[in-house]
Amino acid sequence: MSAVEMLTQLVFSLGQAAVLAAAAPLTAGVIKTAKARLQSRRGPGVLQPYRDLAKFLRKGSVVSPTTSWLFAAAPGIYFAAAAGAAALTPVAAALVPGRGAGFADLFMLLYLFALGRFFLALASLDAGSAFGGMGGSREMFIAVLAEPAILLALLTVALPAGGTGLAAMAAAAAGRSWDLAAMFAAGAFFLVLIAETGRIPVDNPDTHLELTMVHEGMILEYSGRPLGLIHWAVAIKQLVMMTLFAALFLPGGPSDWPAAAQAALLAAKVAAVALALALAETLTNKMRLFKVPAFMAVAGVLALLALVAQ
Amino acid sequence: MEFIHLYAAMAGAFAAAMAGALIFRERPAVANWLAHGLSAAGCLLAVAGAARVFAAGPQAFGLPVDTLFGAVTVRADYLSAFFLAVIGTVGAAASVYALAYSREYYGRRLGSMGLLYAAFLLSMLVVVTVSQVVAFVVAWELMTVASFLLVAHEREKAAASRAAYVYFVMTHIGTAFIIVAFLLLVPPGGSLDFAALAAPAGWLRDAAFVCALIGFGTKAGIIPLHVWLPEAHPAAPTHVSAVMSGVMIKTAIYGLARFYLEFLGPGPLWWGAAVLAAAALSSVLGVLYALMQHDVKRLLAYHSVENIGIILLGVGGGLLFASAGLPALAGLAWAAALFHVLNHALFKSLLFMGAGAVLQAAHTRDIEHLGGLIRFMPYTALFFLVGAVAISGLPPLNGFASEWLTFQALVALPAAVAGMAGKLAAAVLVSVLGLTGALAAACFVKVFAMIFLAKPRSEQAAAAREASWLMLAPMGALAALCVALGVLPVWLISLLTGTVAPFLGEGAKAALAEGAWHTAGFRATAAAGAMSPAALVALLLAGLAAAAVAYRAFGRVERAAGETWTCGIVPTARMEYTATGFAEPIRRAFAAVLLPKPDVVVEEDPHHYFGRRMVFHVRITYIFTEAVYRPASRGAVALAQFMKRLQTGSVQLYVGYILAVTVAVLVWSTRW
Repeated sequence: MSAVEMLTQLVFSLGQAAVLAAAAPLTAGVIKTAKARLQSRRGPGVLQPYRDLAKFLRKGSVVSPTTSWLFAAAPGIYFAAAAGAAALTPVAAALVPGRGAGFADLFMLLYLFALGRFFLALASLDAGSAFGGMGGSREMFIAVLAEPAILLALLTVALPAGGTGLAAMAAAAAGRSWDLAAMFAAGAFFLVLIAETGRIPVDNPDTHLELTMVHEGMILEYSGRPLGLIHWAVAIKQLVMMTLFAALFLPGGPSDWPAAAQAALLAAKVAAVALALALAETLTNKMRLFKVPAFMAVAGVLALLALVAQ
Repeated sequence: MEFIHLYAAMAGAFAAAMAGALIFRERPAVANWLAHGLSAAGCLLAVAGAARVFAAGPQAFGLPVDTLFGAVTVRADYLSAFFLAVIGTVGAAASVYALAYSREYYGRRLGSMGLLYAAFLLSMLVVVTVSQVVAFVVAWELMTVASFLLVAHEREKAAASRAAYVYFVMTHIGTAFIIVAFLLLVPPGGSLDFAALAAPAGWLRDAAFVCALIGFGTKAGIIPLHVWLPEAHPAAPTHVSAVMSGVMIKTAIYGLARFYLEFLGPGPLWWGAAVLAAAALSSVLGVLYALMQHDVKRLLAYHSVENIGIILLGVGGGLLFASAGLPALAGLAWAAALFHVLNHALFKSLLFMGAGAVLQAAHTRDIEHLGGLIRFMPYTALFFLVGAVAISGLPPLNGFASEWLTFQALVALPAAVAGMAGKLAAAVLVSVLGLTGALAAACFVKVFAMIFLAKPRSEQAAAAREASWLMLAPMGALAALCVALGVLPVWLISLLTGTVAPFLGEGAKAALAEGAWHTAGFRATAAAGAMSPAALVALLLAGLAAAAVAYRAFGRVERAAGETWTCGIVPTARMEYTATGFAEPIRRAFAAVLLPKPDVVVEEDPHHYFGRRMVFHVRITYIFTEAVYRPASRGAVALAQFMKRLQTGSVQLYVGYILAVTVAVLVWSTRW
């Protein structure tokens, strides 16, 4: 790969990251509204996350004098990691042949998330409050459980594709049919998706009840603009995971369609995933933290079954 | 300069360091500067020698001494040169660090410490270059004895002398296996030079493989042979811990590489499978045990067990690919292992040095009593953070680059093992490595936050001051190397495939031939992959810039200071999360392996209206210590007690023994 080609790919994937970042609050709004409707409420509308974000980014913040520069830097790093992951997501790669970032690799994407999580967990312990520490500890705990399961689930796509390049994986996944293995794999990744995006039954994004907070506990010390950045980054991460699910685990759709039609199909798939998440959140309760290992074990076993069934 | 001159100058520098430490032992300041300054010079000469080899090709020269066991040759091929460079880099940094750190030891046998330190470094450099069985074993033993005495340096402490004893016993069991492994390779009546060694046929070859794995595995600290490591590494003075954990255990990887790449050649598939199994066990259990520690040096020592496991994942993959006749993938796996050898040497010694700076400033290794040091020791904190991010395998630092290569080698395993077994092995090992990385990240969130963040948990932590620049400079240099190798790993990876290519065939180079300076890419028959750390950095910078723009998009930033709301009480350090609490969910989830035993002590208090003082401890069970080593040591003691009955102290009885044995020998010799 020449340096010029590399730069072109970089610019292209940055554009993709900008599109995903702009669309991310909308996905969060869709999930929220769908959940509200399922619970016979009207909900604030799909655009509410944008209004929240605009509000947060205008407000000043209160910062504990106990904190260090890490506390100030962590939201930026978390955001940058989520945006970087959005740049690597195989969207363009799936739509326009040869347009995806040739260097985008699934370990790069996963470890970018890990980088963001590492710094946010450090920041959670910086103010010295017990809730922050509890949230950070639980977030790292869930990450420990989710990491093997998410790798197993992604390997069900990577092994047949012959590599961990995301563009190649998306291309291989598009050609798959809905057999037993694909169903197992999709089930595994859906469970992982719930854990990674911090949704019910693993974590509740709407709670501020002390004993059940995970992600919210971790960012409890943040207010104003940094909090806005974190919320935005969470929405981006959620959209990236949903897009990965749609692109790698939901086969279907003829490959000879024009790019615009394929993009619409992908968006429809992502919207369907959002509805599925809202339905799952409505039908289940948050589980105890120490039941999460069994939950993730189910995901791991499903992924192994998918590998065996292939 | 020729290699032989550099080598002689290196040996001379260390000899002068030893002599200086011995002569000026009554004047610690002079002894300190001579011993550690000259050691640093010797290490830099070793790096220069390695550079010479990489520039001019493999070098060899004979020593002008004729020993009882034949001539001794010093031979430095690329493999030796790579390890010379690793030991030299870390050794130089540790020596400069020691200049300031060993001021603690003025008046505490600094002379002997300096002497042993120089001897320790020199013996490691000799181990990786000498090319004759007896000389290798002698250098290996010298390395063991010097490090044993350094571990026992603070022999007034019972823990240190006990740790040294365990180390001595374990490492000698290992040496016995290494000697057997070598003897199996020596042709009958042949020379003891490495060049003359030949793999025996049949099961003896497998025996040599197993003996090398056990022998070198003991030194490397693979589970279950690791018991000495978490005792011995923390007990030594910190600059010695940095060298022991950073590079000494890597000499065992050198030994394994010599045996498996050069002497034994490609073996059956189960060789690779055995190494992979040991690697998986070491990496997961090592990091789990690390998470349960509060003593920062002990915790770092357990991380060495983990990282040896990650290195062996590469080695095992290399063995599997070599036996399946896939040189390109074998080269990839071995390059991953060697890359991780270097990376672990860099960030582990960096972390040990940071821990030593904290120990010297706050006088405790217990992270439960630290906190808030980022304010008092900003540079130490920054360098420690770089090491923590690197060891957690996070991008864009060097730990990620080598773990990425290891991941790729594991994903490609189905190419070597056909059918379901290969697929499942790849899936399980990849998720094991992922689990290890996630646990390491959790552990280093804990360590960094407990030491450096929030409020100080003790008065001594609040009184800490920044370390001397002589300690900061080597830490800074190692941190810079961690960043540089993470962002631009490509040239090093191609150097490493070149290092193993002489053993695996030129095909080993082919895998990683692809790629420009910004992208590490490989393409083998069965697998392909590319990863661009430079692009990652660019994406992260773009993301940071976007965050900064969003942050300032709506005018001036208003920040007000306000303490955390704690229901009206002034927040204190006692309200902070503890290291024990942070690790609790993981301890519970892995209770089946860790077997934790909580212990709550409630103090009786006559005043019912006041809170009662409660103390919570939790101990975990080290299954291998309990199930293997304790019964073994009990058995050894019982045997000794039994043998004691023979020794009554009665001379008549001893004469009777002699008579009985003489008669028995006579009877046996006449075959009556």
